[in-house]
Amino acid sequence: MSSGFFSRRGALLVLLLTLLLAALAERATAQPEASAGKRLEAIRAEMEKGQGLYVSGNYAGAAAVFEAGYATYPYSAFLFNAGVCYQKLNDVEHALAKFKEYARVDPNAPDIAKVNQRIATLEAAKAAAAVVAPPETSDAGVADAGPPTPPPPPPPIVLPTSDDQNAMKSLVVIETEPDGAPLRIYSRTDASAQPFQIGATNPGWKEVLATHAPANLTLDVGHYHVVVEKFRDFNASEADMDVSPGHVHQLKANLSQGQFMAFLRVSANVVGAHVWVDDQKKQHPEWGETPHGELIPGGVHVVLVEVPGFEPLLANVNLQHGEQKELEVRLARVGYGVLRIDSASSAPMIKVRIDDQPKGIWRSGEDPLDARSDAGPHKLTVTSDDRKTFEGMIDVPRGQVLPLHVTMIPTFPRGPAWTQAVIGAAVLGGAIYAGIESNRLHDQLVADRQGGSLESSDGRATRGKIFAIGADAGFTIAGVFAALATYNFVRDPLPESSIRPDKPIEFEDPLKARPLSLRAPRRAERVARDAEPPFLELTPQASSAGAGLFLGGHF
Amino acid sequence: MRAVSLGGLGARALRAALLGPLLLSVTGCSWSRFDDVTDSSPIVLLEKPGAMKQGYGVSVAAVRRNDDVEVLVGGGVGVSRAAAYQLGTGESPSTTTVDSGYCASAPCFLSSSLAGFANAPGPDRDYPSCFAVGAGTSATKGLIFRCADHSEFAVAIPKPAQDALDFALDNAQSDDFPLAADRTDHPSLLASSPSARVAWFYPSSSNKFSQLVAPKGAAIDDDSFGKTLTVLPMGDSAGAGRVYAVGVPNQNEVLLWKSEGGRDSAYIGCLGGTAGFGRALASGKVNSDANADLVVSDNVNVHVIDGRALFELPETTTTECGFAALPSGALLDSFGCGTDKNLSGCADSEFGAALAVGDLDGDGDGEVIVGAPGMTVRDNSAAGALLVYDAESPNDVQFVDAKFISSAEQGDQLGRALATPSIDGRDIILAGAPGNGKAALFYCSALLPAGAGGPRCP
Repeated sequence: MSSGFFSRRGALLVLLLTLLLAALAERATAQPEASAGKRLEAIRAEMEKGQGLYVSGNYAGAAAVFEAGYATYPYSAFLFNAGVCYQKLNDVEHALAKFKEYARVDPNAPDIAKVNQRIATLEAAKAAAAVVAPPETSDAGVADAGPPTPPPPPPPIVLPTSDDQNAMKSLVVIETEPDGAPLRIYSRTDASAQPFQIGATNPGWKEVLATHAPANLTLDVGHYHVVVEKFRDFNASEADMDVSPGHVHQLKANLSQGQFMAFLRVSANVVGAHVWVDDQKKQHPEWGETPHGELIPGGVHVVLVEVPGFEPLLANVNLQHGEQKELEVRLARVGYGVLRIDSASSAPMIKVRIDDQPKGIWRSGEDPLDARSDAGPHKLTVTSDDRKTFEGMIDVPRGQVLPLHVTMIPTFPRGPAWTQAVIGAAVLGGAIYAGIESNRLHDQLVADRQGGSLESSDGRATRGKIFAIGADAGFTIAGVFAALATYNFVRDPLPESSIRPDKPIEFEDPLKARPLSLRAPRRAERVARDAEPPFLELTPQASSAGAGLFLGGHF
Repeated sequence: MRAVSLGGLGARALRAALLGPLLLSVTGCSWSRFDDVTDSSPIVLLEKPGAMKQGYGVSVAAVRRNDDVEVLVGGGVGVSRAAAYQLGTGESPSTTTVDSGYCASAPCFLSSSLAGFANAPGPDRDYPSCFAVGAGTSATKGLIFRCADHSEFAVAIPKPAQDALDFALDNAQSDDFPLAADRTDHPSLLASSPSARVAWFYPSSSNKFSQLVAPKGAAIDDDSFGKTLTVLPMGDSAGAGRVYAVGVPNQNEVLLWKSEGGRDSAYIGCLGGTAGFGRALASGKVNSDANADLVVSDNVNVHVIDGRALFELPETTTTECGFAALPSGALLDSFGCGTDKNLSGCADSEFGAALAVGDLDGDGDGEVIVGAPGMTVRDNSAAGALLVYDAESPNDVQFVDAKFISSAEQGDQLGRALATPSIDGRDIILAGAPGNGKAALFYCSALLPAGAGGPRCP
């Protein structure tokens, strides 16, 4: 019984170990595949950079790039290319060193004979230069020989070279799925040769290499035909390949499909744009982010390139088997932008209007208010209670978020001005009344005088004088108060409310968003949180000082 | 990136706009214009002397000698004194009294009506610019005269009046001795003692009285006999004949005597009318002849009677009173307060309480000035007013002007007493407002041609 028991436990343990190993193996496999793609992209970048410098005549720079590339990615193509650059610089020593190193690390290279020949030529040229050089002379004991003559410079080493921009070798990576398939690479030696056919004599074609996948080959510029021979129970497959100078080419054959994959590289004017291939509804994970290259089956594909802030772009691409294609797209920004508004002052709440249309309310402590608007100039109005209104023109960027920090300045208190205005108005009213009364009495006196009824001591004259003096005094006082009130209405030592725009930022990319745990809750989340039903709880508490119940809750 | 602040501009413009109306309102309101108006005002109030404790403006009188014009304002009848003011020439009167000692030295009973004399016959000579102010004792008992030179004397009075005066003096009672004189250079004085039912006159330039004798049956036994008096000179000469009118208002009668210029007089009749007839009398040249005319008021109307027609009435003994004895056309006109539709406030105005005749426009004909001391002026009841009528010819009477004190007060009773001092070839009005102790000179008339009235009448 115990053996049976241990037998079942052992089986269970084996099963668990198997699952664990399978999981680890899958993870280990997935990670190298991802890193291999990036590594290849990096090699490609180095190679193309060196090729560019070489073509532009900057041989020293190109040599340095190739040397650095080899130091990081030890592929023999870098060595050969560096040697060519040194040869272009008539630097025989370094050229010889690179070519010899190339021959050492890649003795089975298809062009090893040519490289050895290049080494011999360089060494011969070096030896010839040493023979024609005059022997070194010493001026010791030749006191009367006159002034010493400087030794003539050594004659330059003239290297026989026909290297042009096609002299650069390229790195060709050939892979099969599954690995280990036998490979034969044929080079077209006659440009007019018929297409290669397996099993035929194929005049104009020459086998340059036979190896097994995966293979990292250093090849000259030219047209090649790659044949994956029958392997296990997989059929043979083949593909043409044009090798351009100073590039990295990748071929991958899916033997189960019996064909070579094509290589598609998608780049855009926006780095990090999301690319979906044959998945317009984005039902699967993205294919990659620009710039991104990857082997994909040949045929017609629909490529969707999309990034927030830009109009989505759809492109059809037709790939031949084994073809390497570069798809470069240009994304156009969307026609709207977002103003992300918050307050840099102590205003508890601000109201935002764009072109006099309400856009929302921002409250202190909340996330900035995002107000979407068509791109271009707009009238921005920001108001807050007891704060000066901000009005200004703002340019909404296309497809970007413009952070705006509003500084709302408190309105200058007008209490004294209103007090002075009211007092001034009251005094003015009294003065007007006094003036009217004075005029009325004066008119009466004039009428009485004209009617012969006025006497010199008429009391109305005295009252009229008093009213007139009162009116004049009232007008003066009212004028003073009016001036004070006006001054205090106009005076405003505080600055106007203002905005401080930051640099525009790109729209947030949900596919690159931070983990939820690190993000501040958005408005909707807060609203949901705040919408929690009120609760009331009673908590007993006790300490050395006493005990009691704590009533708490929120509404 | 562009951000331009637009805020605050509109608010500032709004605030600045407040200043404009306020500054525009601060315009000068000159008080000196009141001095301009009241300087040389058409009415001059005479200052009441502090010594006049009781009443002021109950009676007024004026006298002119050469270019020297003096007016007298009397106080309470029988209990107060009178004050004289020098009007001088032109329109610059002295508003303070030059002599407030009229009827001030006891014993003297100030009369309800005063009489001015360009030349008064004194006991030893003629005195210039005198006023007969009442009855009392001044060296001798009789009617008291006081002159511009502050000299005083008394003239004898009839025995009944003397007895009444003695009685009043002995019993410390006041009594009234109304007075009236014409406006000639040597006036004839008419006096009465209602309490003694006696009236008498002094011929021109004489201080000897002649008692007026009424026929038997005449209604003189009334304590209103002689309450009102007036003298109508027939011409301006000293020896001209005169008509003496004595009112008996309680009997609605005016008794008439005439004198040819000497001491003799003849009773020529009795005018009678409606209630209150004779309550005020005045004389002056109303029509275009050289003789003074009689103006009589009753409780409602004022009647203007041709003085020459009265003078030509024969002596009579009839005691019938009325207008029947008058020749046709002798009654020049009669008019009441409401005769002119433009006049309001006549009810309870005491229209006709005092009368005067003056040539306000200097055209040689006199206008009738009627006092209405009960008239409401500017909502001030009994402030009083003077109403001027031009009554030069029959059926041509028209209301000319209404005058009142501009600073009218309730109860002023302007128009209780009237006189018409003469300056610069025209007459002005002196009116008493005893209700509040005022007396005023009215320099202007609506009849005055433009520019003819001096600076007070622009």
